Amino acid sequence: MSDEPQTSLPTTKVARAARFARTGLSVGANYVKHYAKKAVGAGSTMDDLHAANAAELYGALSEMKGSVLKVAQMLAMEKNMLPTAYADQFAKAQYQTPPLSGPLVVKAFRDAFGQSPFQLFDEFEPAARQAASIGQVHFARKDGRALAVKVQYPGVAASIQSDINLVKPIALRVMGLSETQVRPYLAEVEARLLEETDYALELRRGQEIAARCAALPHLEFPRYYPELSAARILTMDWLPGQHLKEFLATAPGQAVRDQLGQALWDFYQFQLNELRQVHADPHPGNFLLRTDDGGTLGVLDFGCVKDVPADVHRLFTALLAPETYADEARLRALLTEANVLRASDPAPLQALYLRTLRASLELVGRPFRQDVFDFGDPAYMAALYALGDDLMADPELRQQREPRGSAHFIYLNRTYVGLFALLTELKARVRTR
Amino acid sequence: MEKPEPFGPSAGYQGMEKDRIKQAYLDFVLNEGHPPASVFKLTQQLGVAEAEFYQFYPNFGAIDREIWADFGNQARTAAAAEPVYEGYGSREKLLAFYYTLLEILKQNRSYALMSLRRSLRRMPGLSPRVLDNFRQDFERFVADLLTDGRVSGEIANRPLVQDGYPRFFWQQVLFVLGFFAKDDTLNFERTDAAVEKAVTLSFDLVGPNTLDSAFDFVRFLVRR
Repeated sequence: MSDEPQTSLPTTKVARAARFARTGLSVGANYVKHYAKKAVGAGSTMDDLHAANAAELYGALSEMKGSVLKVAQMLAMEKNMLPTAYADQFAKAQYQTPPLSGPLVVKAFRDAFGQSPFQLFDEFEPAARQAASIGQVHFARKDGRALAVKVQYPGVAASIQSDINLVKPIALRVMGLSETQVRPYLAEVEARLLEETDYALELRRGQEIAARCAALPHLEFPRYYPELSAARILTMDWLPGQHLKEFLATAPGQAVRDQLGQALWDFYQFQLNELRQVHADPHPGNFLLRTDDGGTLGVLDFGCVKDVPADVHRLFTALLAPETYADEARLRALLTEANVLRASDPAPLQALYLRTLRASLELVGRPFRQDVFDFGDPAYMAALYALGDDLMADPELRQQREPRGSAHFIYLNRTYVGLFALLTELKARVRTR
Repeated sequence: MEKPEPFGPSAGYQGMEKDRIKQAYLDFVLNEGHPPASVFKLTQQLGVAEAEFYQFYPNFGAIDREIWADFGNQARTAAAAEPVYEGYGSREKLLAFYYTLLEILKQNRSYALMSLRRSLRRMPGLSPRVLDNFRQDFERFVADLLTDGRVSGEIANRPLVQDGYPRFFWQQVLFVLGFFAKDDTLNFERTDAAVEKAVTLSFDLVGPNTLDSAFDFVRFLVRR
């Protein structure tokens, strides 16, 4: 890719703004392209683009629309293991879309209920407590109950398709992919993104999953209030607790962290194996932790739920099973079935895929091969990140830009990457079998 | 009239008669898709003398302008009735006005589009004449908001330049109305987003920003 645009990068804010206006999206796309490239750590062509410049662009990008970032994030998911810097950038993305103004929030309520939130609730905080990429969360009170009210940006659902069309060509070029290769993956991502804007669906799923997981210990789900919810407004209980970062700052004891980690692990194993449906957004913002009862975990946001078809479930668990990693013939058969290995591939390529996937599975499957796994082991997470870097740096593998395997794996991978990241940050010891 | 009695029975009666004519005109336009062929036709339908009409309006265009001005007034009143309105800054007050206006226009969308289009066809590229009264009220409203904003520091004090702000915000109204007219999303959600972004941008521009620092710096250098 040409590095020419950066030599002429305008350095002042005014010049940049003028340039954006003059050459429009093509220049914007260049920035995005370079930025995204830098973010995934592929190549160092942008080393001389200052951090400040990147931040600036980042600001502009995140103001465009939440879903642009989400699409970019999704597309990068099949890269499986993300470098820390990249993960940090996108964690930031979740919180950086400009907040809805007070009057717009009022209007959303008027559209949905014919009255303002101040009439609907006994108490309603006009300033949002938290922002998410497609909406924001307000604190409210009614009949003495503390409530979390999620309000969606107007027009998000309608603009997601156009955002995808905007990001697609850029993303394809960054990753060196052709459209036909990635079509099934994009379709999967699109479907999930659109589902995320459907608050009625989220309400139903939240209620269902909460009911079915009721037997699991140390978990807590918010109650949803259909009469106070609408297409763009979702009202649920305000759960007590802190987000992971603040919670860890209070230096909780090992026993508490273990119990929380165990609750998290059990929750995901139960969803995958029993419900065949997983909360596919294990982002730190979606969990609230507190020390009550030796560690209680509140689960929020059922916007992104992945249904796991039976054959995908069988493949996924078989790949992670302890005996698979040791048995090369079995691994080869499974990978062929998953369409990662193809009969038409030349032998060296097959060997390459087999080698790298085996290395990945050895690491990712490690917790499944022990009775008790210590996610606090710093060597483990370091190994995970190193693996990501190695895969990215492998010259042979970098030529193989074509994504492979089932599209269903995008969200399953995302789920487990997120889960492992949470557990390692918690430094929890978990009984994994 | 011997005694000026603004709230007397005659004023009330006059007001009622005026509203009746306005409503009859509105109904006609909505049902037929065009204004009545003549004042005579409308007054005949209403069963009043044609001369009665001219006591209130010189022509149909005046009714159109008044209906639009009513939209604006209703929007300002309804927005200000919201309990949180007093706590809003200038930016939010303007947003509240826009959203309430759009609510009102949504209920009267057919009429709004028809009257705008009729007016635009006559003079493309210019502000539609039906909006004349609406515009005067709006510019006064914005001027007040801007004055408040300057007191609170939300808006930068820029002598000379700031005199043009009301006209600048008027262009924003035209943009919003144009966007609303073309919006094909459900419940006109994209118009809401457009308003949000347009107002944020405009207040970023009129608020204290890089320009002020640059101007101040240049002035400092020149005076040296």
